[in-house]
Amino acid sequence: MGVPGRTDDHRWSQQHLSHYVEGDLRPRARRRLERHARDCVDCGRGIRAMRALVYSVQGLDGLAGVRAPATIFDRVRPAGAGGSSSPRRA
Amino acid sequence: MTPPSRGKRAPQPAVTETPATERPAADTTTTDPAPAGSTAAHPTAADLAAAHPTAVGSPGSDPGAAHPTAAEPSGTDPGATEASLVARAQAGDVGAFEQLSSAYADRLFMLLLRLLGDRAEAEDVAQEVMLRAWQGIASFQGRSSYFTWLYRIAVNEANRALGKRARRPAGVSIGATELQLPSSPADDPSRQAEVSELRLALGRALAELPPALRAAIVLRDVEGLSTQEAAEIAGVSQAAFKSRLHQARLRVRAAVGDEALVTAGG
Repeated sequence: MGVPGRTDDHRWSQQHLSHYVEGDLRPRARRRLERHARDCVDCGRGIRAMRALVYSVQGLDGLAGVRAPATIFDRVRPAGAGGSSSPRRA
Repeated sequence: MTPPSRGKRAPQPAVTETPATERPAADTTTTDPAPAGSTAAHPTAADLAAAHPTAVGSPGSDPGAAHPTAAEPSGTDPGATEASLVARAQAGDVGAFEQLSSAYADRLFMLLLRLLGDRAEAEDVAQEVMLRAWQGIASFQGRSSYFTWLYRIAVNEANRALGKRARRPAGVSIGATELQLPSSPADDPSRQAEVSELRLALGRALAELPPALRAAIVLRDVEGLSTQEAAEIAGVSQAAFKSRLHQARLRVRAAVGDEALVTAGG
């Protein structure tokens, strides 16, 4: 038998690491997670992992600088010229 | 009016426009065509190799750089404001529509590549997005920014395309080998290898996500949009959007593993 409430705190903290990193937890919930993470190696590492995840995903794909194809308006031009698919008043 | 980017997030109005893809005539009236938990088609390695050619990571590219706005296009009426271009487009001026939308075309295309992982499909969907935007421009009332409205059409169309796509074997996706970011010259080879492996793992994990969750993490974490704007684009409440974002992060974290994240990404 573990300490009462400890398992619940661990499970809850694991589920709310993203909320914590995002700043979405209310002060009381934030303190609950921080209090638990101080004594829990897994949750302490989980916070670092979640922060690293958010940081690493930024610019992950290296797509900056990609240009839209020159054909992007190809379906609009005939529509604009012909009028059949021109803007419709709501 | 500069499209928002990370670190330069503009406040958005609370009321959301109804994009062209949500008109009654369209068959995708839902803003959540692929809810969390649904199966997703996965782009293959071949798709992604084709999706990201040599233009990727072109010199001088800056992921956080502001894009030109409709009021500052190159080679077109420099005095036109976005509002005046909208008005002219709504009156049927296709040139004004192109000028208005071309300011966001590159960024929109990158979003589609991120969501679809397939260059040919992204090109096709980009054309469809512009056609739907043109057809629906009359219903745009300016309650959200034009950028948000256009992006929302793009996410809906991408989700529709993913829904149509036959399920394929899991493959690598955005962040795969061909998309490696340049590493810092100061990094030692072992560190570079760790970072490279992490990017591969993240790319695979993102590819495995259902479309709605993938869109959430792409809009918020990759594109760097605010929660409010990303939620508007996804067509859900901020609470629902955050739920998707947190689910997506938890799944990616579970797939990649804390050790890899902390070691290479920390």
